[in-house]
Formats: sequence, structure tokens, C-alpha cells
Amino acid sequence: MSSQELYEPYILGIFCNWCSYAGADGAGTSRMQRPANLRIVRVMCGGRIDPQFVLNAFMNGADGVMISHCHPGDCHYIEGNLKTVRKIPLLKRYIAQFGINPKRLKYIFVSASEGVVLTEIAREYSQELKEIGPNPITGGN
Amino acid sequence: MVKPKNGIKITGREPPKIGVYICWCGINIGGVVDVPKLCDYSRSLPNVVLASEYKFMCSDIGQGMIMEDIRAGKVNRVVVASCSPRMHEETFRRACEEGGLNKYLFEQANIREHCTWVTMNDIPGATRIAKDHIRMAVAKAGQLKPLEVTTVKVEPATLVVGAGIAGINAALDLANSGYKVYLVEKSPTVGGHMAQLDKTFPTMDCSSCITTPKMSEVARNPNIELMTYSEVVALDGYVGNFKARIEKYPHYIDQEACTGCGHCVDICPIECANEFELGMKPRKAIYISFPQAVPGEYTIDMNHCIRCGICKEACPTDAVHYNDISEYVDIKIGTIIIATGFDPYDAKRLEQYGFGRHKNVINALQMERLLSSYGPTEGKVKRPSDLKEPESIVWVQCVGSRDFTGRGKKYCSRVCCMYATKQARSYKEKHPNTQILIFYIDLRAFGKGYEEFYYDAAKNYGIKFIRGRVSEILEAENDNLIIRAEETMLQRPLELEVDMVVLSIGLEPREDIDDIARIFNVTATKTEDGFLMEAHPKLRPVDTLTDGVFVAGNVVGPKDIPDTVAQAKAAASSAATLMSRGEVEIIPYYAMVIDHKCAGCKSCIGLCPFNAITFNEIESIAEINDILCKGCGTCVAACPSKAIIQNHFDDVQILPMIEAAIPKKSQKEEVKVE
Amino acid sequence: MASNGLKFALFLGCVIPNRYPFIERATKAVFGKFKIELIEMEGASCCPAPGVFRGFDIDTWLVVGARNITIAEELGVDIALMCNGCYGSLLEVNHTLKHDKEKKKMVNEHLAKIGREFKGTAKIRHVIDIMYHDIGPEKIRNRTKYGRKVPLNLNLAVHYGCHLVKPRDIRPWDNQVENPTFFDELVEISGCKSLNYKDKFMCCGAGGGVRGAFKELSLDYTREKLENITAAQADAIITGCPFCHLQFDLGQVEVNNIFKDKISAPFSIPVLYFTQLIGLAMGMKAEELGMIRSPDLKGVPPFTPVKPILTKIGESA
Repeated sequence: MSSQELYEPYILGIFCNWCSYAGADGAGTSRMQRPANLRIVRVMCGGRIDPQFVLNAFMNGADGVMISHCHPGDCHYIEGNLKTVRKIPLLKRYIAQFGINPKRLKYIFVSASEGVVLTEIAREYSQELKEIGPNPITGGN
Repeated sequence: MVKPKNGIKITGREPPKIGVYICWCGINIGGVVDVPKLCDYSRSLPNVVLASEYKFMCSDIGQGMIMEDIRAGKVNRVVVASCSPRMHEETFRRACEEGGLNKYLFEQANIREHCTWVTMNDIPGATRIAKDHIRMAVAKAGQLKPLEVTTVKVEPATLVVGAGIAGINAALDLANSGYKVYLVEKSPTVGGHMAQLDKTFPTMDCSSCITTPKMSEVARNPNIELMTYSEVVALDGYVGNFKARIEKYPHYIDQEACTGCGHCVDICPIECANEFELGMKPRKAIYISFPQAVPGEYTIDMNHCIRCGICKEACPTDAVHYNDISEYVDIKIGTIIIATGFDPYDAKRLEQYGFGRHKNVINALQMERLLSSYGPTEGKVKRPSDLKEPESIVWVQCVGSRDFTGRGKKYCSRVCCMYATKQARSYKEKHPNTQILIFYIDLRAFGKGYEEFYYDAAKNYGIKFIRGRVSEILEAENDNLIIRAEETMLQRPLELEVDMVVLSIGLEPREDIDDIARIFNVTATKTEDGFLMEAHPKLRPVDTLTDGVFVAGNVVGPKDIPDTVAQAKAAASSAATLMSRGEVEIIPYYAMVIDHKCAGCKSCIGLCPFNAITFNEIESIAEINDILCKGCGTCVAACPSKAIIQNHFDDVQILPMIEAAIPKKSQKEEVKVE
Repeated sequence: MASNGLKFALFLGCVIPNRYPFIERATKAVFGKFKIELIEMEGASCCPAPGVFRGFDIDTWLVVGARNITIAEELGVDIALMCNGCYGSLLEVNHTLKHDKEKKKMVNEHLAKIGREFKGTAKIRHVIDIMYHDIGPEKIRNRTKYGRKVPLNLNLAVHYGCHLVKPRDIRPWDNQVENPTFFDELVEISGCKSLNYKDKFMCCGAGGGVRGAFKELSLDYTREKLENITAAQADAIITGCPFCHLQFDLGQVEVNNIFKDKISAPFSIPVLYFTQLIGLAMGMKAEELGMIRSPDLKGVPPFTPVKPILTKIGESA
């Protein structure tokens, strides 16, 4: 029980440069506080996100992976985000077959002015991951 | 092999010697995490040869540190742990270049916006994240390759969208600098909302007097191609090399043949609502927006025209052609300025004020038309129900602005306090015995001469300013209005009967702003205000995040005429700066196909929205045009053979970042004990 | 009773059974004609009153209200009610408990003591809502077109009241709150016209505990409304709430007494509950609608005589 209490979820975020990374910057500029669980990798577009990134993250012990890009229709590169919209739901079902709780993969749309939305989701998600427990590969479920 | 400025040769194959520079950013970072300890930590990371710290890495001294270490040969990769790369990536890249290092051998770790600023009270947590971000940046830096920047020629032409006062000024400045300008306006005339105004505050300049000369200038300037009654329907390309398609709607009148005699208007049998007069005066189906319209072109509104043929027969030069269709024009430009303006708030949404139900409740824009000498009542303000000149008028401020109930916008529209005072003064000048009351929340008279103007209005013109909100407006007998309000300074409710009410409506983003944002690939803010987003609210007020596309005026947010013109001139200057160099650098994040890995499956061909990927039938492989490729990386992620690599964001750079992001189990153990 | 599929549990509240049972009689009669089934709610109590009860203790108000709702939940139907106050209470209790997990838990802990459980399966409908949305003004107009040899042709002062329309976000009136028209649409039948009188949407003065604690103040409200209604030359006042009805009916007598020096002449405007009007328009008899005192109908007679209306429309008393 006590290790559960000390367990701080490791969340890897993969954010697109134009919307979500900017939104995260906006959350920072407005000093919206969130639990210290999220690290962010920057890609130029949500379309760049390869399912392999997600799998590698879990294999290396991430407790949660958060993918965020522009709302459909607003992609800086027109439709890169739409390709990802097709990939991720399928990926969620795929990781379940490896024994990884699909709730560990969080998929959201955050625009450049939605720092507040990101913060709220990050807070809820940290809490959710605390309840689910650490990554099974490093001892959890 | 790439030869940077000072000739230090980097092939990209030598072992990386990473220098980590950690910024205190004053107390923004240094006040939360222990920067010297982070330096120690950085030195323990693979390939890191030195770690330094400074209060402000972006300053001359900070940048100097980087340049010195490069020149001394100590480092061949640079990591700066500081603010977001969206802030200073360019700054540090240039510092690397000055020092002699290829500027793409730089990576920035965001330990401010994504770390200390969001975990201010959790020092161990912030330290954890800072370490992780630094470790990730170091892992990526070790895999970075030097890149050559591509330069492309810039077309010395600008597309200005919207010909209100912002668009007009931007167009004139650019045209007078020698650039070709395409000025596109959706309505049949230029001038925008400013052409509807009577006087302008605080000078009481007549709006037409200051606008119409510019309007004619814009039509006559040899460098400006004016297209009114036109819309941009498609946009392609990239900074310096945009291609736009413009649809020119048919007027159904041959403008060369038309003499402007106006006979057609006299005999047209159809009357319909007049947009320019805001519904207070009808117009015919064949019309000209207002007498001083530029261009002075007549138009037939086919939504109302019944094609009776009377105008066609009567026209002395046979200029009426019912069967005209839209014309499409393709243009090439280097830069774009969006200046499409605003829409006024629809006061019907605040039902308690009775706009649309009570005859004598009008909005401020309608009041401008009433005051205007070429308005529906030729400058005599007459109330709609009985055309009597009112002896008592109330202005209600903040209608649709500063509204947290969801029926308006939360922001302040900036101009309403001043325009109400101005309108009140205009009317009082002609009717000194009128009772005028302005009900306000705060009086915002922030600009040059504004406070003095307000003071003068209150002291010398006898306009009463009452601090308190109007709760409802009822219709009384003979169409008078009963105002119920609160007089906060005297702490009492107030009820009074007046002849007319003017609602000071706010300024909102245009209804079609999402379409505009989509065509020009810029962002409209999704939260709250809905205007177009500038690149940085303080330092880049007229840039957008899309290179080559600028914004000016009310399309970015509500503002008065001086600020609008200032932004228009700023946007013109920014566009001119970009075009003056004759060429522009394209960030080399493009993707490339590794020939021998490509299986010819063609999965990638259809994925590219920019048509940068073509299939080489002879060699049976895909090929990517590095100028058209914008670097989104979609094809990279999609290739089943992993045959496509991308500069700067390839798997070899990102996968090590991901692996480095999560510390090994032993390191996790360390955290648990804390 | 034949049913067109619409079946509700009829919640009576307090004022109707204790003072104005003719409102229940008229509503049942009219609903019967439209084939809507109304069943009894055994064991229903005071809603409890939204002004007084909620003002004292919100949790108690939630528990008592939830208990009433569970009666309908067990019957498997939605609740129909005839009072603005009961509407305000039950609608808002229902909404709160459907969305606030903590409050629902608290309420069910109490209800468990009496073997009940709030599940959130019922909807709360005012009879005006049922008439407007489930039947519709068009249908009512058609049914009342030829209901009488001579149409009613009355000028009506419609009184919406407060809890019927406010707060608007959980009420079904399509965002109408400052200037609603739905109730007017229901009563503009058989030649009747709904008048636009000054401060039409003002409170009657009764609710919120005001009539109980500050009687004279509440009657001052009523006096102002009566003056405006008189100025508009209305033949009758139409209500959708028994408390408003009481305030205009008994209240008129009280106003005539207490404010006799302030008013120019004593008021005597008949007050009708809207289903009485619809019944009249359909050609039903005054007794069926409780407009004439009959021995089997308990409760109090109208304090302000409705005979003038009956005379006006040509019905014998």
C-alpha cells in the first residue's frame, strides 16, 4: 500500500507543435498548476506520431502516454491530425492485447488557446493513473 | 558536408560533444529548481562534456557563453534548458551559427512553461520533470544532423483581404513602397464599417472626410489591383510563394458601359433591406451601396431581383446583363495580410432590452447612420416610430460585452464608452436641451485625448453619466421607453421614461471567421473571444504562426481607428521586410525517401495534402519534393517499410528521446525513497 | 380509461387538495378529453415548498422532494403537476440528484431508512409543459374551434408566475425567459386574446415565504399587478399555479380591504386556472370545471366571483 502512495505516475506526452505544444506553453504562461507527472515530446504534427512511439514508451516503463494535437479541421498541415484520429483508437485496442490497460493511452485535442483544458485533463489523468497503478512491465497492472 | 559561417567542419558523423546550458530565467526557473544541481546532473549524462548556467541565457552574455565554447572547440552540439523553444529557439540557433556551429545542431529543453511554471509548489516534482526534459533533449541532441537551409525567391506582391480602413492603409503603404498589391473586398465597395460612421472620437473628424480620400487613392494607385465583390476561395503554397484563387461575383452590369446615371435604381420595382443602412432604409434590388462608394459600381442583388427586365430596357447604354457568371482569377503573391474586420453584436440576444421588439430601441451603428448626413434621415436623428426628434435619449453600455452569462462575450469591446460619448455629444450639439443619460459600468477613456473628451462631454455638454446597469426596458404609451436601472452611486433603483434608447453594442468576430482561418491556415482562438490569434500577444501583434500571413485591425480583436491604422501599417511593414530581401529561408524539416528501402507500395502518395510526393514509375519508388514538403511527418509515420526519414524529427531522434524520458527502474527507486 | 400512450402520476401538492380542488377536477376533465391518463400518487406529501423549505435547509428539502419522486418512480411513470412551486421544487430536486453523486448518496442513505431509493428514472412535467409540448397549441386550437356555439372571445391577462420559467437552463421553454410566449399560445383559443399588460412577468407576491412572513408587502405586489391588469381591460386573469391563483383570488379581497385608500375602486376580476378556460372552450359545463359550487366539491369557493365570466359567455350560473 505504501509504495502505491509514493507512486508518482510517469506520463509521456507527445504534442504537436502548432496547437498542443502551444497550448501547454499557454498553460505555463498563465501559471496553471498541475501535478508533476507530464513530460512532453514535441513533434511538428500529430500525423508524425507513429504507434511505435507509444509502444516504446510503454516498454520503457511509462505509466501513461498522452497524445495531443489540433482539433479536426484545424491542422496546420491541413489533415495530418485526421490520419492520427484513425490510428489511435485502433492502437488502444491493440495494447490491451499486450496486457496494457487501454486507459493508459490518453488521446485529446488541445488548441493553442486551450491551456485550461489541458491542465484540467492532466490533473484528472494523473489521478486516474494513480488509481490504476504503475506500468505492469515495471510491476503493476 | 556543411560549411557554416566560421568554417568549423561538421560532418554529423563525429562523436557528439554536448554542451548543456541551464538558464535561471531570473527566478522563473531558478526560484523553483536548484540550477547548480541540475548542472551536476547534466554532466552525468551520456555525451555531455560541459554544463554551465546563467541567469538569462537569451541575453548577450548567455549567448556569448555558447559562442565561446563552440569557437574553442569544446562542444559540437548545444542544449539550452530554459523557456519554450517557441520563444527563443531562433535566438539560440543564431547564437550557434554565430559561434560557427550549424544551427540545427541545437535542441532546447523546456523547463519553464512545461515545468517550473506549472509545478511551482512541488520542488521535488519540478526537479524531476526538469531532469527528464534535459535528459530527453540531450538524447535528441546526440542524434541531430547538420542541415542546410533552403532559400526560395519571394514574389514581390501582397494579397490584402478586406478593404476597410486597415486593409486600405496596408495596401497603400505597400503599393507606395513599390510592391504589387491585390486588394480583395467581399462587399461591392471599399470603406468597411468606417464608411458607416458619422464623426470619429476624440477629434470629431468626419469619418467620410478622412476615409473617402483614401478610398479613391486605393482605386487609383497603379500598384493596387482592386477587386471588390470578390472573395478568396482557395489558397495554396508557402511563404513567398502563395497561389490564391479569387472569385469575382457578377454585378450583372457591364461596368465599362455603365455611366452611373442611376436611372435603373429609380425604376426598379423591388425594395429590400439595405445592409449599409442596417435595415433603416430600403434599397432597390439594383443598387449602389452609398453615393460615395468606391468603386462607384452598381450591382444587382439576385436574391431579390425578379428579372422583370425593366432596368435592362431602360438602361441607355445597355449595361445590364442578367446572364453574367463569376470570374475566377489566379494570383501569385509572397505575403498576405488579413484585415477582414468585425461584426457588431446582435442585441436581440439580450431580450430584456427589447431590441427588435420595441420600435425606438436602436443599436449604436444604427445611430451612426441616423447622425450621418447621407444616412436614412439625412443627418436629422429621428426616432423610428413617429420620426420625432427625441427630447430624451438613454445610451446603455456594455451590451454584449463584459458579459459572463453566456449571451455575449466576456471581453471589453474597447470603443463603446467613447463612441457613446461621441454620439451623445453630436446630438447635444444640435439639440442642447435634450436630456441625455449614459448608463455605464466603467468609463474607459484610455487613449490620447479620450479622458479630456469625456470630461468635456460631461462638464460642458451636460451629458449625464450614471454608473449602474439597466435591468430592463419596457415600451410605454406612444412608443416611449421605460428604463429600469440601478444608480449605484446613490444606491437606489431608478425608473424613467425616455423617447429613445441606443444600445452600445460590442464588436465580435465575423460570423465567417472560422472559414477565413481555414483558408489562410491561421488559428482562430477556440476559447472565449474567437478572434484570429496573433503569433505572440506582446511581441508579435500582427504576425500569425503561419509564415508570410499577417493580420491587422479588428480581425484580431476590438480596437479603435488609431490602433487599427497602426496595426495596418505594422503589417505592411512586416510584409515589406519579408519581401525586401527577395528571398526567404524555409525551415528544412522536409522528409526524404531512402531509395533502396522503398518497396513501391504507394501508401504515402495519397497522404500528402501538399502533393509533395510523386511516384517515379520507372524506378518504382516514391519521391518527395523538398520545397513542397512542409515537414508534417505524416508519410514518415505511415511508411510500412520505414523508408522515409525526416530531417530533425526522424525516428533516430525521437525514439531516443522517448527512451530517455522514463528513467530506468533503479532511478525510479530513488524517487520512491524521497 | 382509453389512453393515447401518455400516462402520468398526478402530484397534487398542498394548495389544491386543501383549498382549490376544482383545479384538480378541471385538469383531470380536460386531460381526459385529450386521452392523457393521470394516476394517483399514494402517500405524496408537500413537495416541499421551494421558498420556505429550501430556504431553511437544502438537504432536508432534497430528501423530502426525493421521497415524493420515488413514488412515481415505483409506478414507472413521469410526474405531472399543476403548481409552479411544486414544479420549482421537484424539477430542481430531480436535476440536482441526477447530477450530484454526493447529494444522491446522502439522500438515499436517508431514504433507505424507510425502504425507498431515488433512482433518477422519472421526469417532472408541469401540465403547461405537457399541454404545450405533448399536445401542442395547434391541436388544442382545433379541438376548441367548434367547441361552443359562440366562441369565448375573452380578453385575458395571463400570469406566468416565477418558478415556471426561472432559472431557464433546466426548463423546457427553449431559452424563453425574459419574454416568453408559450403560455399565451395555449390560451389564445376560441377567440380569446392574451393581452400585453405592464410588467406582465412580475411576481404575484405570494412565493418565497413572502405571503407567510410579509403579508402586506406581498399584497402590495398583487395590488400593482391588479392595477396593470385593470388598465389593460382584461376580462379574466389566467393562472397556472394554485398559489398565484390564491394570491389573485383571495388576495383581491385582501387588497380591496387593506389598500382601500390607495386604490381608485375595488378590484373584481375573475381568476381562472388555465384548464378551466380550455374546458370552457371545448364546450364543457361550468360544474365539470368546478366553476359553480357543487356539494361534492370540497375546499373553498372562489373568493372573487367567477359568475361575471359565466354571464359574459352566456352560461347560466
